[in-house]
Amino acid sequence: MIQRTDQLPTIELDGRQITFHPGESLLEVASRSGVQIPTLCHDPRLDPAGACRSCLVEVEGQRRLLPSCATPAVDGQKVTASPEHSPRIERHRKSLFSLYLTEHPGEDHPDGVERGAPNKLVRAAKAFGAEDWGKLENLRDDLLGDRSHDENPYIQFDSDLCILCAKCTRYCDEVESVSAITLAGRGSETTIATPDGRSLLDTTCEMCGGCVAVCPTGAMGEKKPKTHKMPVEAELEKVRTTCNYCGVGCQFDLNVDPAAREGGGEIVKVTSPTPAPPPPTPQPRGRTGGSTARTRCGKGRFGYDFLHHEDRLKTPLVRGADGELHPATWDEALAAAAAGLRGVQERHGKDALAFVSSSRCTVEENFLVQKLSRAVFGTNNVHQCAAT
Amino acid sequence: MNDGTKSRSEERTRKRGEVPDQLELAGGMVPGSAAIVAAATGDSEAHAYGVASFYSLLARPEKKLRVCTGLSCRLRGADEVLSAAREAGLDAEGYSCLAACDAAPAVLKGRETLPEVTPEDMARTGGDWQQLVSSSPRMQTVEGAPNWFGDVGSYDGPLVFDLPAGESEDTSALAAAAELGTPGVLDAIEASGLQGRGGAGFPAHIKWRAVAGMPAAPHFVVLNADESEPGTFKDREVMMRRPDLVVIGLAIAARAVGATEIYLYLRGEFTIPRRRIEATLARLSAAGHLDGLDFHIHEGQGAYICGEETALLEALEGKRGMPRLKPPFPVEHGLWGKPTLIHNVETIAAVPFIVLNGGAAFRDLGRGEPGTKLYSISGHVGRPGVYETPLGVSLDELVELAGGYTGTLKAFSPGGASSGFLPASERTRPMDYKHLADVGSMLGSSGVVVLDDTVDLRWSALEQLRFFEDESCGQCAPCRIGTRYLRDAVDRDIAGTRLSNGEAPLTHVDDAAWQMVEGSICGLGQIAALPLTSARQHFPADFPSDTPPKDSASPSEPEATK
Amino acid sequence: MTNSIREIRDADFLFVIGSNTTEAHPVIAMEMKRAVRDGATLVVADPRRIWLTEIAEKHLQLNPGTDVWLLNAMAHVIVTEGLVDKAFIETHTEGYEAVAETVKRYSPEEAERVTGIPAEDIRWAARKYATTKKAGIYYTLGITEHSHGTDNVYALANLVLMTGHLGGESMGLNPLRGQNNVQGANDAGATPIYYPGYQRVDDEKVRAKYEALWGVELSPEPGWNLNEMMKKAGDEIRGFFVMGEDIILSEPNVLALEERMNRVEFLVLQEIFPNETMRFADVVLPASGFAEKEGVFVNSERRMQRVRKAIDPPKGARADWQILLDLAAASGASWHHRTPADIFDEFAQHAPNFAGISHARLDAQGEDEDGYTGLQWPCPDPDHPGTRYLHEGRVLRGKGLLTAVEYRPSDELPDEEYGLLLSTGRTLYHYNAATQTRRDPGLDTKQPGAFVQLHPRDAKKRSIRDGDPVTITTRRGSIDAIAHVSRQVKPGCIWMALHFAEARANVLTNDKGDAVTGTAEYKVCAAEVTKASDYTGELHEFRGSHYQAGHAEDAPS
Repeated sequence: MIQRTDQLPTIELDGRQITFHPGESLLEVASRSGVQIPTLCHDPRLDPAGACRSCLVEVEGQRRLLPSCATPAVDGQKVTASPEHSPRIERHRKSLFSLYLTEHPGEDHPDGVERGAPNKLVRAAKAFGAEDWGKLENLRDDLLGDRSHDENPYIQFDSDLCILCAKCTRYCDEVESVSAITLAGRGSETTIATPDGRSLLDTTCEMCGGCVAVCPTGAMGEKKPKTHKMPVEAELEKVRTTCNYCGVGCQFDLNVDPAAREGGGEIVKVTSPTPAPPPPTPQPRGRTGGSTARTRCGKGRFGYDFLHHEDRLKTPLVRGADGELHPATWDEALAAAAAGLRGVQERHGKDALAFVSSSRCTVEENFLVQKLSRAVFGTNNVHQCAAT
Repeated sequence: MNDGTKSRSEERTRKRGEVPDQLELAGGMVPGSAAIVAAATGDSEAHAYGVASFYSLLARPEKKLRVCTGLSCRLRGADEVLSAAREAGLDAEGYSCLAACDAAPAVLKGRETLPEVTPEDMARTGGDWQQLVSSSPRMQTVEGAPNWFGDVGSYDGPLVFDLPAGESEDTSALAAAAELGTPGVLDAIEASGLQGRGGAGFPAHIKWRAVAGMPAAPHFVVLNADESEPGTFKDREVMMRRPDLVVIGLAIAARAVGATEIYLYLRGEFTIPRRRIEATLARLSAAGHLDGLDFHIHEGQGAYICGEETALLEALEGKRGMPRLKPPFPVEHGLWGKPTLIHNVETIAAVPFIVLNGGAAFRDLGRGEPGTKLYSISGHVGRPGVYETPLGVSLDELVELAGGYTGTLKAFSPGGASSGFLPASERTRPMDYKHLADVGSMLGSSGVVVLDDTVDLRWSALEQLRFFEDESCGQCAPCRIGTRYLRDAVDRDIAGTRLSNGEAPLTHVDDAAWQMVEGSICGLGQIAALPLTSARQHFPADFPSDTPPKDSASPSEPEATK
Repeated sequence: MTNSIREIRDADFLFVIGSNTTEAHPVIAMEMKRAVRDGATLVVADPRRIWLTEIAEKHLQLNPGTDVWLLNAMAHVIVTEGLVDKAFIETHTEGYEAVAETVKRYSPEEAERVTGIPAEDIRWAARKYATTKKAGIYYTLGITEHSHGTDNVYALANLVLMTGHLGGESMGLNPLRGQNNVQGANDAGATPIYYPGYQRVDDEKVRAKYEALWGVELSPEPGWNLNEMMKKAGDEIRGFFVMGEDIILSEPNVLALEERMNRVEFLVLQEIFPNETMRFADVVLPASGFAEKEGVFVNSERRMQRVRKAIDPPKGARADWQILLDLAAASGASWHHRTPADIFDEFAQHAPNFAGISHARLDAQGEDEDGYTGLQWPCPDPDHPGTRYLHEGRVLRGKGLLTAVEYRPSDELPDEEYGLLLSTGRTLYHYNAATQTRRDPGLDTKQPGAFVQLHPRDAKKRSIRDGDPVTITTRRGSIDAIAHVSRQVKPGCIWMALHFAEARANVLTNDKGDAVTGTAEYKVCAAEVTKASDYTGELHEFRGSHYQAGHAEDAPS
């Protein structure tokens, strides 16, 4: 049920009157009104945690700054969210990100992480004028016991980069309900860990890679060798496509290194589409926010190496008089195929041919197979493995 | 899932509350224990592991002896006791305040707190931790179990708690409450002006009325007996001496707000007070006074933060004790998301008096603010202990009850580590919520620690910072990093070294402290900088290097350490 | 699916039957988990304990193949307790009376005896389903891969229609499609009885339309379905064109099939990897993976979405659509198509349900507020927004048809010789014939080889311990695998995944097909397990999973 805009409640945000739909958080109202509030631990699919403290805003009548991600908009509220409008917000962001940087290498991080991984913290720190307050030594353990000993081939955790926003563990709990990883320890030794520090392979982990996708700093990173060698993300082509495994039809971006394979291109990783900016009008909300339209399972996120596998068929083959398959040119193979099918048709009739199409192939290809079967070879004997 | 029975998901949620207890049974955080606990509770193995690693008593199960390193214990030789333990070949560790500052230095043996342990006691163990006994005259045995009491005293006037009197058979408050009915009890609480005695001083009646009026069911009552604020031990002594007031207070509260289930969250180190409470529960229950009520005792597993009410609720739910965002407050969204009345021991123990004598009688006992107050006092005074006086006595008045100063007063904390330090010039200031807030301090838990002029306030601040660093839950950056950053800065200041960028160590501490106050989720982070900021404010002489760096600040400066 | 994936989270009651959703459709399972987290009631009917049974309010652990008994008994409760939606039945359905009459004989008590599910649980589930408005049914191959699969679906549809759980959000009858483009392949007319868009081949007007369009005479006779093709291979059927399927791994009772395939005269295989079927191929055409070509996939919820070319195929291989155009040309046809967009247009413009969709429109379509792209058919014209859920306001065929079904036992049940009941299925880490996933080092490490789950009781009887190599035998053949002793299966039942070429579960399965769809009975056959005498495969451990991470019932007892 969409209410008329002029009946909706409003808040005053940085001096502007903004209408909202009941249930919207201050962060949601702000971000669709063009007011930029930094966030590190927020994801619409997760319950608001309010833990990173980046999104605090001033609300009139409230002594404390409030996390905009977890604070519902209330009619008539006066909210100040921008440093330009509030010295308190300015000092908050500057000192918060300065403090973060004391435990974070910033941009000076050695190899070991995938190149070009996003780092929202470094970007926010720059944007809000964070200072160098000196560095503290990292006291935290790396997950999965010891980084070098976890033989899982996909996911690695680098505690140097971790800011403990807990998006990874919350995603693992709240979206996947898998709970393979947890916050472990307490205080400044808190880290991300598996039970007893085991390899992810020996936990309930289903290798969905969601922890990697939600990490704002690249602390949860990809381990695939190709991903490590790849050019920085900016040089990659992102091609939006549909997953080729199950019937859900997840959308994702194939990240392609266009120069690899002699210019034929190589997929170096799969990423989830970045959400489009929200429309500026108030959004009605369902019972729960944040769809799973951008979630992935392990097959979708990591299962693309088969495309580059050496076993791929590359040459047409025709069975010779010796009973063996021999390489042939495309013209030879197509001619042999056409002649063979026609031969059966001539010897045994049209309905002695059967066409097995594939629910793995595209709509267009299935259309062509049935057209080939019906219009060229005259039989309705066409089906596909859908029944399997 | 017929009416009245719990659905499978509710059952699962409740079952998860057993995780910490089950972890204790499984030997704490040892390989395989998380799997066993997951199997027993239906929780995930990773959650169980995360919980085990959060709580001190679970995370380091091999430590059987823990020496309190609270300020009062260190002033009375805790360091020597710890050294003696190690010399005796014992696997001992320093530990956050054990709420036995009046019996310093205290040692936790297994789950049992021993008073006034000496280096000689440690030496006599012969390296077997189980042989450790305290030679303190406080130690006694009651019905075969170790038992000890602290010193108590009171002003000369009407008493609410009357700790010296000890446990009473009197249950007339229950009958009085029944007669008043819910509206009458709520009115009495409101008329009394009772404020939450855990530290925040929030008017109790607002919470009671809110919970009583919430449509969601069921309602819960929770007792916060996780007394961990350094310098504070009054709740321990209330449970030891007046468990009757606690149990009766809880029963009255539950009936008034429409709850049948009552959860008592006792810190795990309170094995001895727990026995007292259990005995009283058994006695009153057998006499039929607690009909229709279900009492559950939950032991903490070693985390100061669980004294924060929402962290406590998380712990009761079997999770890592990380505070929740507020709002929503527990009165609306408390234990398992249901309306919950949660109070400190002292607050609850005041309820029988109020119900029996009327709100006004309680209110009139205070000087400016209502009621009497239990002050814990320790440090450089003659007779550390728990004293009941009108709310708002001055330090001088309190110390007079507590045997006088044992040296020249230099500084004091009026309300535990969280209240920072005040100078001797504040010795006549009324110690109540308002007057202490006026000078940037707070009444807090009214754990008064007195320091004489032999004490270095930079060192004292460092000890308190170390405590907050150890006890930060780690959830939010301002507290997690801030506590550590400040402690590191003071460490460097004492050592005479500089920050990694070459600056003087205290250059950014004001900004960091500001961020902790503004940015932290809960009270711990918001006040954790106070020991340092107040010490620097009132005792600049103890921070000799706290001046803008001179020209000598150069990269060639030696990395001096002590 | 009558409804959309996004609606699942808002359902108040979810009835999942014959679907191990977390493994086969992990992302749909996330929506289900979300719904449960938000307070929805989940009921799972499955012979095995699966991930979802852990969070379900009730697990109806039925004996394999007794679905009709369970569903008719639920209908029995709904009918006899007056929980039917009378207004909906009168306005929107036909056939109710016959069903009501039939299900009278299916009492919950009798159902308990056959299905093994307590009568009270059946009653509870039926009442809860009937009395919850947003109540959706989700099923997959556990319902259809039976000799009476169609009956199972009718029995489910009866529940939906008699309660009126149709035509609104978060309800309906929702088969979850197993493969990326099962829906699209059917939509495209790769079926023996339909042209694109479910237009019947034996409908004169339709045939005339396509004869005019393609300029050729077309056969009025429906063709053979896949199950029949496989049974007639080597006899009536002497020539095959096979694109992108390893029939020798995927089809049931493959040893018999292999024998027949030897009598097939000619087989063209269009594939990306060598596979078992290649042994019978006369011509092999190297094709392309999904990232190497343009096109459209249609997901379970009828959503048409673009597939885009990101990389070139390996040198020498061609896109499948290109190969098909080339093969048509080599066979003497002169088709005008140049691009997948052209092909799509011909497909869509002559099928009313798809007529509003084109590559251009799909490409211009952004994400909606939930991040979804593409268009859900029916979408009859270029201005139509697509259809989130079917049957809104009225049932599409006019009247929803209730069909009385009687229980028929599975074709082959355990007996003295073969004492165990074998079901097959899929796992999270592999995909069907696993030609792709087993070539991924990570997925393969998590689950490196074939295994058979059997209950501790049955294992003990046969002196089999967890991790032992064992031989599984049926009347059709035998294979070796590693024993996984687990309480996931009921006593008397065993379970295997079908992914592993070195241990082809389909050597064992029964090729008896459903009378209507031809879908074979992959879910039930009689089998026996013995310790393997001369196991040559690799021994492998079971890596961590939900069922090994400290769940009480699986802890060593």
